[in-house]
Amino acid sequence: MESASVPLPHGAGGHATGHDHHGPPEANVSSRIDRQTLGILLFIVSEVMLFGSFFASYFFLRVVVNPETWPPHPFELPVAVAGMNTAILVSSSFTIHYALEAIRKGNKAGMKLGLMLTWILGLTFLFVQINEYVHIGFSARTEAFGTIFFSLTGLHGAHVFIGLCLLTAATIRAFRGHFDKEPEKHLGVEVPGIYWHFVDIMWIVVFFTVYIL
Amino acid sequence: MVATFTRPGWYRAALCTVLAAAFGVGIVVVLRAISGLPAFQSEQTGYPQVVVPLITAPLGFLLGIGCFDYWLRWGFGLPTIPDDHSSHGAYSWKDYFKVNTDHKVIGVQYVVTSFIFFLIGGLMAMLIRAELAQPGTQIVGAATFNSLFSTHAVLMIFVFIIPMFAGMANYVLPLMIGAPDMAFPRLNALSYWMLPLAGILFLASFLAPGGAFDAGWTGYAPLSTGAPLGQSFFNIGVQFAGFSSIFTALNFLVTIITMRAPGMTFWRMPLLVWANLSTSLLVVAATPFISGAQFMVLLDRVLHTNFFQFGAGGDVISYQHIFWFYSHPAVYIMILPGFGIISEVISVHSRKPIFGYRLMALALIGIVVLSYSVWAHHMFVAGMFSWLRVPMMLTTLLIAVPTGIKIFSWLGTLYFGKIHTKSTAMLFALAMIVTFTVGGISGVMLGMVPFDIHVSDTYFIVAHIHFVLFGGSVFTIFAGLYHWFPKMTGRMYDEKLGRVHFWGTLIGTWGTFIPMHWVGMDGMPRRVADYASQFGNWNLLISCFAFMLGAVQLIFVYNMIMSWRFGPKAPANPWGGKSIEWLVSSPPPVFNFDEIPRVVGGPYEYGIPGARHAIMPGEGAEVPATRQTMVGS
Repeated sequence: MESASVPLPHGAGGHATGHDHHGPPEANVSSRIDRQTLGILLFIVSEVMLFGSFFASYFFLRVVVNPETWPPHPFELPVAVAGMNTAILVSSSFTIHYALEAIRKGNKAGMKLGLMLTWILGLTFLFVQINEYVHIGFSARTEAFGTIFFSLTGLHGAHVFIGLCLLTAATIRAFRGHFDKEPEKHLGVEVPGIYWHFVDIMWIVVFFTVYIL
Repeated sequence: MVATFTRPGWYRAALCTVLAAAFGVGIVVVLRAISGLPAFQSEQTGYPQVVVPLITAPLGFLLGIGCFDYWLRWGFGLPTIPDDHSSHGAYSWKDYFKVNTDHKVIGVQYVVTSFIFFLIGGLMAMLIRAELAQPGTQIVGAATFNSLFSTHAVLMIFVFIIPMFAGMANYVLPLMIGAPDMAFPRLNALSYWMLPLAGILFLASFLAPGGAFDAGWTGYAPLSTGAPLGQSFFNIGVQFAGFSSIFTALNFLVTIITMRAPGMTFWRMPLLVWANLSTSLLVVAATPFISGAQFMVLLDRVLHTNFFQFGAGGDVISYQHIFWFYSHPAVYIMILPGFGIISEVISVHSRKPIFGYRLMALALIGIVVLSYSVWAHHMFVAGMFSWLRVPMMLTTLLIAVPTGIKIFSWLGTLYFGKIHTKSTAMLFALAMIVTFTVGGISGVMLGMVPFDIHVSDTYFIVAHIHFVLFGGSVFTIFAGLYHWFPKMTGRMYDEKLGRVHFWGTLIGTWGTFIPMHWVGMDGMPRRVADYASQFGNWNLLISCFAFMLGAVQLIFVYNMIMSWRFGPKAPANPWGGKSIEWLVSSPPPVFNFDEIPRVVGGPYEYGIPGARHAIMPGEGAEVPATRQTMVGS
């Protein structure tokens, strides 16, 4: 190995035993949760707070400014289309769960199917969302309502996009057979899955706040 | 030739930066064409063709320098380049200019980079004080003055104090908990490389038409939404600094939770680790709020949305609420790691266990929880809901309790200790307790609604923030740098020069910032280039002390550079510390340990014969003394 030939400059200290050392010692595992899962959960905490700042803005515009009606007078939201879209995204949560359950049982074909379905459902959601934007009849510049509508749904759309990127990586790796040798090591599916569930649950919150409430 | 531009490094970084900037301009042109607007903006309000490249070019730089290489190969299912650990350790100064995944190298990169920003920000402070030495306009005009104090604050907060603590913890925290590296070394490298980008964005705003951002570090709407282009540099720079600190905090949390050495329970962690645990909790959960606030301002500026536009149903005050919901926790982000450093330094140099160790840790958690409930005390005169004032006053006063616990515990630790002031670190730690307490007490004064209304936007505020940030945070940074300098560099620093630096800094701090309380109470407004002539004498005195304070920092720079180069070799444990970082050589071996040490006791068992904190591999496993053996000293 190359690293072995690199002279260690301060090697005196820990190398009294004189044996060649090829890498760092294995870290002690001091928690039952693994690093990647904990990392993505903490990242999701951060993401929730980012949504929180926009929700804070939403409630300032709605409750503190307090226009006569909400949505303000000329605005109307296509609740039915968004509701259908919600159903699409929620079902994608079930398909990713199916993919995870499949790989846990070692069923690689099931995992690939679940990942593909999730990916297609996620992409459909984004397309319906963009279509809704095009036909909605107002823009982010139209009053504060337009601003907060587009920023909350757009922020969520950006997260769907990030989630899709993660899923793409997982799908590519699944089809390249990266999980074939050791199906029990499937963090590469599990971590994007956790993130996808977050995207999904966040959409339910956004949908109920923006469209229904 | 081709290889030069395909290998990760500075050439590829330059190329990718240019391409990404062009890509950013392209996006703007295409999107504008699609929406039927002229491709190039004629009226020049939001400058989208500058703002979008400002976001894409730094991302291109990160791509080019090699921060994303491993992840991209992994994501596309390509064979990842096997980690042969050749990126561990730094063998020449050039290695510090590469993407390196070794937490010790990243720690040094962090410390040096943020110290450079400290010097630049300090120079701005000198210019500010030169302008304020006399009433009237001497050196810079009012507009430049506004830019200077805004940039000074932003540099000091976002690219000096916060990353400096992150850098020091990066170096010593994995050693302290017996981990070979951070949990996510590549993410750690990415976090570092975003830091200089943020600093450069802040500084580059001086080149923008209309000058650097001048709405203060708070960037209140609607002042910021209508400001010239420079404000966008601030909005975007904060995003990079914010992502950097979120990723670092996430890394610290995962490292502390999952990678502690065997035997290191939560109640055996050194207080520096506790401090970084609580700081990271704050960063992960609060920093997204400033991200959100700056995104909103940016959208209002560039896309002309209506978050803060009163006429279109927007709410101006909501900016301040969202901003301070981050920025009040941020002041604890800027002091809690310092509390950890002080705890380490005080217990080592007074040879006593920390008084009330568990309460110290719980006080940190208490501060974390309370700090989310005090944000509106910055807004007593902002015209917010009047019913919110008294609850915020009460929570503000309440947060003095856990802070007071820490102060008294340090005093309890010092009490009857064998106090050694042979190290400059200890001098700074002792001075910090006094100086920070003064700043803390003026903070309690400011928490009272009536007094706050009286001194709002006067120099009293400036005095308070500099007492807690300079007398608090910066003193702890100096204490930490002196304390771990032998560990980081393997050399001893010059103690005599350290003492000169300490006394100069202490006198300079008090001389500069104490009179500010008085002129503030008499009504001298802050953030104004000119002032009534009655404050002239005091301001001349303040400026003289400020120049002295600035000058003695050069001694520190000289001391650090010369000692790093020529200083005498440092022993592994120059201060007689017990925590694990002192049990490895100075500087530590490339992979920290051959085998993970075993923790057998608390980290501060000074004065207890035979007490051990950790046993290194290869040592005889003698039976460690228990606490009952003897009461200390």
